[in-house]
Amino acid sequence: MAPSLDLPNLPDADVARLAQQGREPAFRELVRRYERPVFSLVFRMVRDTATAEDLAQETFIKVLNHIDKYRPEFKFSSWLFKIANNVAIDHLRRRQLSTISIDGAPNASSAADVEATRFDIADKSESALDAMEARELGSAIERAIGALRPEYRSCIMLRHVEGRSYEEIAATLDLPLGTVKTYIHRARHQLREALEHLRE
Amino acid sequence: MQHRHLLSNEIDLLLDGEAGFGVAPLRSHVDDCAECRARLDEARLVADALERLPHFAPRTGFSDRVMSQVQVVEPWHVAALDTARRFVPESRPLRALALAGAGAASVAISGSAVWIAFSADLSFQSASFVADRVRAALVSGVAQALETTLGSGAADAIRSSGSLALVGGALALVAAVGASAFGFRAIASAARQRGS
Repeated sequence: MAPSLDLPNLPDADVARLAQQGREPAFRELVRRYERPVFSLVFRMVRDTATAEDLAQETFIKVLNHIDKYRPEFKFSSWLFKIANNVAIDHLRRRQLSTISIDGAPNASSAADVEATRFDIADKSESALDAMEARELGSAIERAIGALRPEYRSCIMLRHVEGRSYEEIAATLDLPLGTVKTYIHRARHQLREALEHLRE
Repeated sequence: MQHRHLLSNEIDLLLDGEAGFGVAPLRSHVDDCAECRARLDEARLVADALERLPHFAPRTGFSDRVMSQVQVVEPWHVAALDTARRFVPESRPLRALALAGAGAASVAISGSAVWIAFSADLSFQSASFVADRVRAALVSGVAQALETTLGSGAADAIRSSGSLALVGGALALVAAVGASAFGFRAIASAARQRGS
C-alpha cells in the first residue's frame, strides 16, 4: 500500500513522478487538474462536444500510458497541451481530407453520404438569430475563434485562456518563437476585425 | 513624442506589458495620441474578453472513462519498497524499537553466518584428518594380514606395486579365507552325516 499523500497540494512534477511510480490516485489527480483545460482547448479547436470529448480522452490515454517518458525538466502541462494540440490538429486534417468538396466527400456513394459529408458553408455566415446571439461578447468571441486558422487558434488559446508565455507556447507547439508571435499577432488582428461590429 | 501612429506589432508589445528601453517611447506616444490610445483600448478589450473565456467541462465520469483505458504499472522496486513499508510501525518509539530489533537481528544473523562458516571449515579439516588416519590404519592392517598369509616376500611385492595391487591382494585374501571357511564347513557336515 502506498503512503498517504496530499496530492491536491503537490506540484505537477511531483504528481507526475508519483504516477510514474504506478500510483493510481496520482493518475486521477492529473486528469482532475487538466480535464477542463484540455477539453476546452480541444473543443475550441474542433467545435464539437462529442468529438472534443473523444479527443480529450485520447490525449489523456496517450499521456498517461506513456507517463514513463515524461521528463520532469519540462512542464507537465506543456507536454499535455502539446499532445492535445497534435491530436486536435490531426483530427482537423483528417476531417479536411474527407470534406474537400462542398458537394460531399469524394467517396460518398449515396445521397445520405453526400448529405452527411457536405461542407456546411452556412456555418461561416451569420443568420439574424446568430447576429443577435453574437451581441454578447463571449458568444461572439467564441465564433471569432472558430473562424481562425487552427494554428492561430491553439496559439491564442494558450496565450490568453491558459496564460502561457510566448516561450512556453513555442516549446509546447514545437514552433519557432517568431512564428508564435506572428500567429498571435495575426489572430488578435483577425479577432479585432471580427468583433468590430460590436462597437458600432 | 513619436510623430507617427503605432504599428500593430507595437500595440501588441504594449498589450503584452513588455518592459524595456524600446517600449517607453511607445507608452509616451499612446499618452498623447487619442487614436493610438483607442486602438490599444480596443486590443485590450479583445484580450480581456479572451482571458474571461470559461473552461468547459467534459461529461461526468470523464476521469473513469480515461482510467479504464490506462494501464497503471507499478515498478518492482516501488512494490518492494511498499511491502517493506508495511512492516514499519506508525509510532516513533515503536519504530525505534523495531529499528533496534532489526539491528540486533542482523548482528545475530551475521555472527551465526560467520560461526557456521568457521565451524564448517573446522569440521572439514577434522573429517579429512580422521579419514586419513582410517585409511592408513586399513592399509597397514591389510598389509599385515597379507604378510601373515602370503609371506613377507609376496607382501613386499604387492606393497611395491601400489594401492591397486594392495586392494587386489586384500580381495584375494578375503576370497581365500572365504573358500577355506566353506571347505571346513563342508568337511564338518560330511563327518556329522557319517557319525549319525
